[in-house]
Amino acid sequence: MISPTEEDFELELRALPGVVNVGFRYGDKGDVDAVSLVVHGDDAGPVRVVAKQIVSLYYPDATVSVEEMKPVPAASRTSSGDSGRVALVRAEFNSHDGFCEVHLNVNGRLGVGRSENGPLIGGAEATLDALRQLDFDVPFYLVGSVNVATVRGWPVIVTLRPRANESDRHGIAQAETELVSSAKATLNALNRYLSQLENFG
Amino acid sequence: MLDPDVSLSEAPVAVALDANYEPWLFQTMLDELATSELGIGFIYSVIEHLAKRYDLNDVVVVLDHESLTTQEFRLGGAAVSADHAGRIVSDPGVHCEPDIVPQVELDAVRTACQLALSLHLARFAAAHDALTTIANRRTFDIALANSTVRSARYGWAFTLVLIDLKDFKIVNDRLGHDVGDRLLRHFGFALRLSVRQGDLAARIGGDEFAVILNNAEGHEAMGFVERLRENVAKAGESIEFTTGTSTSPRDSTDPSELTRIADARLYAKRGIIHR
Repeated sequence: MISPTEEDFELELRALPGVVNVGFRYGDKGDVDAVSLVVHGDDAGPVRVVAKQIVSLYYPDATVSVEEMKPVPAASRTSSGDSGRVALVRAEFNSHDGFCEVHLNVNGRLGVGRSENGPLIGGAEATLDALRQLDFDVPFYLVGSVNVATVRGWPVIVTLRPRANESDRHGIAQAETELVSSAKATLNALNRYLSQLENFG
Repeated sequence: MLDPDVSLSEAPVAVALDANYEPWLFQTMLDELATSELGIGFIYSVIEHLAKRYDLNDVVVVLDHESLTTQEFRLGGAAVSADHAGRIVSDPGVHCEPDIVPQVELDAVRTACQLALSLHLARFAAAHDALTTIANRRTFDIALANSTVRSARYGWAFTLVLIDLKDFKIVNDRLGHDVGDRLLRHFGFALRLSVRQGDLAARIGGDEFAVILNNAEGHEAMGFVERLRENVAKAGESIEFTTGTSTSPRDSTDPSELTRIADARLYAKRGIIHR
């Protein structure tokens, strides 16, 4: 267990712009004798200067090394619900009749799903429908779509249950509307499954 | 080391925690809350528990946060190498080697860690000044009240030092707020360097700072001012300041009165400027 002072020390380093990861090496007396930072961004120079200042306050003798994170080729990224191969193009809700429509794009193909169950439940249903319109086999059914209060706002959590005897899949998203949150949360819940499909798209 | 080609989980955050499903996780939270507050330490505790529970070689927790860059936390507090960091950071979640932990448990771990990081940041922000990262007015008021109570009850001496930067308003007006902010940051850093462990340095107003020097009277306070002067000079900035002090219990054991006395002495010394 690390002490509150060490916790704040690490938090201060992590709060520097672009710092992604902080590592420590401990000396014989248990004090930190080396700190390494992994930094995202083009210029780690300013971070290095401030990090050295912060480290000197807590551990004056510790060395500081800063590594710049290697850029990730786009092709090596796995898909994500809102920026990967399955992209949410549009989501619309008609408050007069309670219908909603979700448009998904996969490699240039468009799938449109519909539901009449309002933005929260309907958003998830329409997303599943749109995936099926795109010929995806989606062996899940919707268990719940709920809007919950958290420290980060009011995200929507979608729970999908596989037809096979496996654990439920959960996705969470927070967007400008409940409908978009619901659609994105559904895609997030399916991310792993979709990325594992051999004939994806 | 995590294999960069391992299939990584992507489910972004997670589920409501289920005490029946993840009792070990709840026990870790309770243990942590019993000895400290939920924070970065909790994240490492959870990573360690997860590794032991499934006999994992490596665990990396990747968390998104609104006010931070995406953050990686690795088993043992080790840094993820820069080569792998970029690949992993694009996949928020909990990544294990081998990849044998049930997804629902990974989701619960991620939710708990996300909560711990948010709480830690909120707690830090509530107690510290955002610009200088030294304590803020609220923390100072609490510390001063505590110190005066101890001083009145046990006779423990402490010195309150109030510090005022000279002509700071002119710097802001003439050179702009960016320069003013930079000066404040440098001064805050010099203050942190100058106080001893157990003392408290705080920014209590725009260009007003305060320091509580525990177990310190006149000559220790002089020593602090001298250290501060040296550290300000080392920062390479031209910052002039004035100080006023009061000591408890000699001057008073009332926080307001101590502050008033130090303030009056500061104003009386306005002609004596530390460069």
